[in-house]
Amino acid sequence: MSDLIEVESVSFSYGSRSVLDSVSFRAGKGEFVAVLGINGSGKSTLLDIVSGFRKAETGSIAIEGRSQSEWSRREIAQRVSHLPQAVHADLPFTAEQLVGMGRYPHTDRWFESDEDHKRIRAAMERTSCWAQRRRAFRSLSGGERQRVLLAACIAQDAAALLLDEPSTFLDIEQQLHCFSLLRQEAQDGKLCIAATHDLNLALTYCTRLMVLADGVIAHDMQVAEAHENKEWLGRFSKRLDMGSTPAGSPWVWYR
Amino acid sequence: MSATQQLTFLARYSLTLSFVVFLGAAVLLPWVGAGPISLTRVLQHQAPDYEIFIQLRVSRTLLALIAGGALSLAGTLFQAMLRDALATPYTLGVSAGASLGAVAVIAAGWETFLGVPITWIGALAGALGVLVLVLGGAFRRRQISAFSLLLTGIAINSICAAFILILGGFASLSRSFSIARWLIGSIDATSYFSLIVLTTVVLIASVTILTQARSWNLLAVGERWAASRGVRVGRLLVNGYVLGSILAAGAIALTGPIGFVELIVPHLVRSRISPDHRILMPCAFFLGGALLALCDAIGRVVMPPAELPAGAVLALIGGPYLVWVIRQRTPAEEI
Repeated sequence: MSDLIEVESVSFSYGSRSVLDSVSFRAGKGEFVAVLGINGSGKSTLLDIVSGFRKAETGSIAIEGRSQSEWSRREIAQRVSHLPQAVHADLPFTAEQLVGMGRYPHTDRWFESDEDHKRIRAAMERTSCWAQRRRAFRSLSGGERQRVLLAACIAQDAAALLLDEPSTFLDIEQQLHCFSLLRQEAQDGKLCIAATHDLNLALTYCTRLMVLADGVIAHDMQVAEAHENKEWLGRFSKRLDMGSTPAGSPWVWYR
Repeated sequence: MSATQQLTFLARYSLTLSFVVFLGAAVLLPWVGAGPISLTRVLQHQAPDYEIFIQLRVSRTLLALIAGGALSLAGTLFQAMLRDALATPYTLGVSAGASLGAVAVIAAGWETFLGVPITWIGALAGALGVLVLVLGGAFRRRQISAFSLLLTGIAINSICAAFILILGGFASLSRSFSIARWLIGSIDATSYFSLIVLTTVVLIASVTILTQARSWNLLAVGERWAASRGVRVGRLLVNGYVLGSILAAGAIALTGPIGFVELIVPHLVRSRISPDHRILMPCAFFLGGALLALCDAIGRVVMPPAELPAGAVLALIGGPYLVWVIRQRTPAEEI
């Protein structure tokens, strides 16, 4: 498995509050990594830094073996797509127009080509939002919006997808659909890194868990190892425990 | 019809229609005025019809078309940058800076410099000063965001407004009247040299803005969104602010601070035609120009021989119309 993203000794702080303190990890194609941690643990900041939106104070990021600073913004966007935690889009873009923006890094054409439109449609159908394509994004429900944004990330056709709480606002069926879709993307050779608070979704669909705590990656393990050592659960709450589903999968529950 | 063909058709149809309206305004509106003008006399270069038509009517119609287009495009641009349909060059302090510059020279009693009306120079200098102050204030750690631009712009706007009030209060009665008259905004006959300069500046700035229309789409959704799709957000924001300021300052220098056109036209085009800046921006330019020229023509004929300032006509027509448009919105559109 080749490393697509290499994060080396990255630190970041907001004023005097240190959020990331010499964080290092590598991730490659085929992995579906869940970034876990309590509120304010630096999950979103880490994704912002890897996507190039924020600059790390120290440390380095490499994408496909080349320093992030050596890639142009557009070249990064061709390789890494980022789903932010919230997109407001107050101006009345339609869902299809928003997904179409995912094609921006791939074309210099004034309007998208037929090939672009095929990809836009395929992405929207995969995230079950094609029926809403003509509706204004701002008029959609939270869950519908999230599916449109996910479709935009998929339409971007990048090798790495960074997703900040992708299942937010989704109903249970759509949460399962979203995570199973991301797993499929990983199986098709992409790298998916998703920040999430849903431990069971992470345990069910992801291949690897990274737990951020006190500015560092406190735990970094394959999902198969997660139920062998329950210490990582204590990072979230003392009331958590882990058992197994009838199918034998690990399952987190609270006392 | 494929999605690409649909988009191309919409763009061609709406652009052609907007351009025809712009062209129609340019051809028809110079004939509208307090007194009739004979086409035959104009074609035969006979006084006074020929002079009135060429020196007064045509020049002010062209000024209204170019200034209205520039203001409307600047409004569209600032709305994309700030992700706010109510943003205008006033929001970011450019108009207030230009106004302060012009008011300062009126209060000082200066009239011309090397044959050029001093209000033009004052307005351009004021806008440039605000441009430097806002950009300087908005940068933090060599980075800039729409939020810091907005806050700095609002602060500078308030300071400029305060100075305008102070200057107006200390000026003599006649100069105070001149200041009030200039601040309403109006279209007056101007020299063709000024028009050529304004047109050249507006054309260069507009084309530069338009070539980045795809990036404005992304920025209108969000800075993080744009950055992760390959846009250099900081550079784009600075480009947008400088180019938008050039458009607004160029227009305001010749017309005074005419409001509403930069608010109402982008809103209408966005809701009736498309929010896609590749279509929205050129349509807003053409229709903004046509609307201001129409308001100027109406101002010439409603109370002859007196003329209503185009800014006042625009506010009187545009205000109620905007309220009507807002009342037509569905609840889903207001989310």
